[in-house]
Amino acid sequence: ALLSQPAGRLRARRGLAVRPEMHFGFQTVTEEERREKINQVFESVAKKYDVMNDSMTLGIHRVWKDILMHKMNPSPGTLLLDVAGGTGDIAFRFINYVRSVRERQLQKKLKHHQNLSWQEIFESYQNDKFNSLGDSQVVVCDINREMLKVGKQKAQHLGYSEGLSWVLGNAEELPFDNDKFDVYTIAFGIRNVTRIDLALQEAYRVLKPGGRFLCLEFSHVSNPLLSRLYDLYSFQVIPVLGEVIAGDWKSYQYLVESIRQFPPQEELKAMIEDVGFFKVDYVNLNFGIVAIHSGFKL
Amino acid sequence: VRCQHYPPLRALQASAALRRASDEHRKEPLTSSSHQHFDSPPAGHQPEQEPQGPCPSYTGQGGQESEDYESEEQLQHRILTAALEFVPEHGWTAEAIAEGAKTLGLSVAAAGMFHSDGSELILHFVSECNTKLSELLEKEQKLVQLGEAEKKPIDEFLRHAVEARLRMLIPYIEKWPQALSVLLLPRNIPSSLNLLTSMIDDIWHYAGDQSTDFNWYTRRAVLTGIYNTTELVMMQDSSPDFEDTWRFLENRVADAMAMSNTASQVQSTGEAVVQGLMGAAVTVSN
Repeated sequence: ALLSQPAGRLRARRGLAVRPEMHFGFQTVTEEERREKINQVFESVAKKYDVMNDSMTLGIHRVWKDILMHKMNPSPGTLLLDVAGGTGDIAFRFINYVRSVRERQLQKKLKHHQNLSWQEIFESYQNDKFNSLGDSQVVVCDINREMLKVGKQKAQHLGYSEGLSWVLGNAEELPFDNDKFDVYTIAFGIRNVTRIDLALQEAYRVLKPGGRFLCLEFSHVSNPLLSRLYDLYSFQVIPVLGEVIAGDWKSYQYLVESIRQFPPQEELKAMIEDVGFFKVDYVNLNFGIVAIHSGFKL
Repeated sequence: VRCQHYPPLRALQASAALRRASDEHRKEPLTSSSHQHFDSPPAGHQPEQEPQGPCPSYTGQGGQESEDYESEEQLQHRILTAALEFVPEHGWTAEAIAEGAKTLGLSVAAAGMFHSDGSELILHFVSECNTKLSELLEKEQKLVQLGEAEKKPIDEFLRHAVEARLRMLIPYIEKWPQALSVLLLPRNIPSSLNLLTSMIDDIWHYAGDQSTDFNWYTRRAVLTGIYNTTELVMMQDSSPDFEDTWRFLENRVADAMAMSNTASQVQSTGEAVVQGLMGAAVTVSN
């Protein structure tokens, strides 16, 4: 049993099927147990998810998500699938971005129409005003009902209504047809997927030809000094914050352990290439604390 | 050698866009390393590994997939070519590339493969124009060799070559200043300088320049100066069919010719003066 464990762990890290051993943080569990435990984790953290994100990362997670959006650079008319999108952070940013791009487009169009009569200008306003998103849409898919609920409430509270859909679904088995989406994002979610290879295959399946896969996830810090500080912070501070703010030590212990169990940048890149994506590349943010992986379905 | 084995359906769908490029060039479909989850391809499936040009600096994928490299690069070329159509409307931007990708049946997200300031698009365009110019000059040289056309004098040849090259900018002239500024970004200077110098070199080659001394450098420097200044003049020219620009070009080439004459005159005058002085010195000493 002692001998088989390292091999099992290695296969588990690659997200390949190992019955019955999988990792849940630093524990070893079966596949079903893992799914159930992760489900429980997110059920309990859902309400305090955003607050905890802000306090653990000192608000930097907002910058990370903004950078992801800039890298995506979506044009109006893009169809985005945000998997494990729970509370909607990426979706809202997408809508804001597309809206501002669209405004700039309309302004440029109007500048060209300097010599129109007031009647024509009025008509062009009428046509364009009700298309402020330029037909862009985002579908937020999450496996956890509680997270979706929090997301919908946030959307209502912040005033996001059009271009937004909420779907309950499993990243390993998406309830969508082939070749549907322009961009697939999974931000801080793929770590919690039990079979990463299946999730990547599903991502490939639902993307249109030419579509883009973007993954924002905690990753491996190679700088040794920083790595020690990061470990210190992760294991000493974060679970304490979890207990104090959310009253839930164990979920945040799981969080930091799952980060350590997740494959590092190059390994994840190889996994993405294996599924068939091209031009796979990654960018380290904050020295590797977070990495954005990108691939194209060509 | 066309492979008779039909890869699994997902592989077919997966490589749709690339397969088109492959089909055009009669290559085999994607190699096995991209499809580890399916059965390894049968013995008849031999990927033809012809040595291709220098590998582009894409990340990661190793030598075994050099065919797919070619397809990736070819696909990118096709997207950029398709995007040129949309440049007059959108400028040299990611939007034009996105529209180009759409016409090829790809998602607009494919524009994410390129830099958001349109550098690759502009460099692609410049490279295509240079290729077209080379082909044009090659054709004309053949006609001269076959005796069907007369060989032009140097100044007329240079004028003709530069004008032909600058005329290729006419459809995009409104957005060209933007392109020039992007080409001057430090990141792009190596590539744009490379393209410029090879174009000038081409023109001199077809003009019949065979110098092996310092003339080689002065000629290219002069022609580069003529080309750049004429390009700038063309940006601001509003005369019908850019007449003012071509007149400017004519004057500059004439200047250059005159300058080279003057230079040789100065040299012979200088030699004559030195000889005169030497003679005077000899006379005085006697």
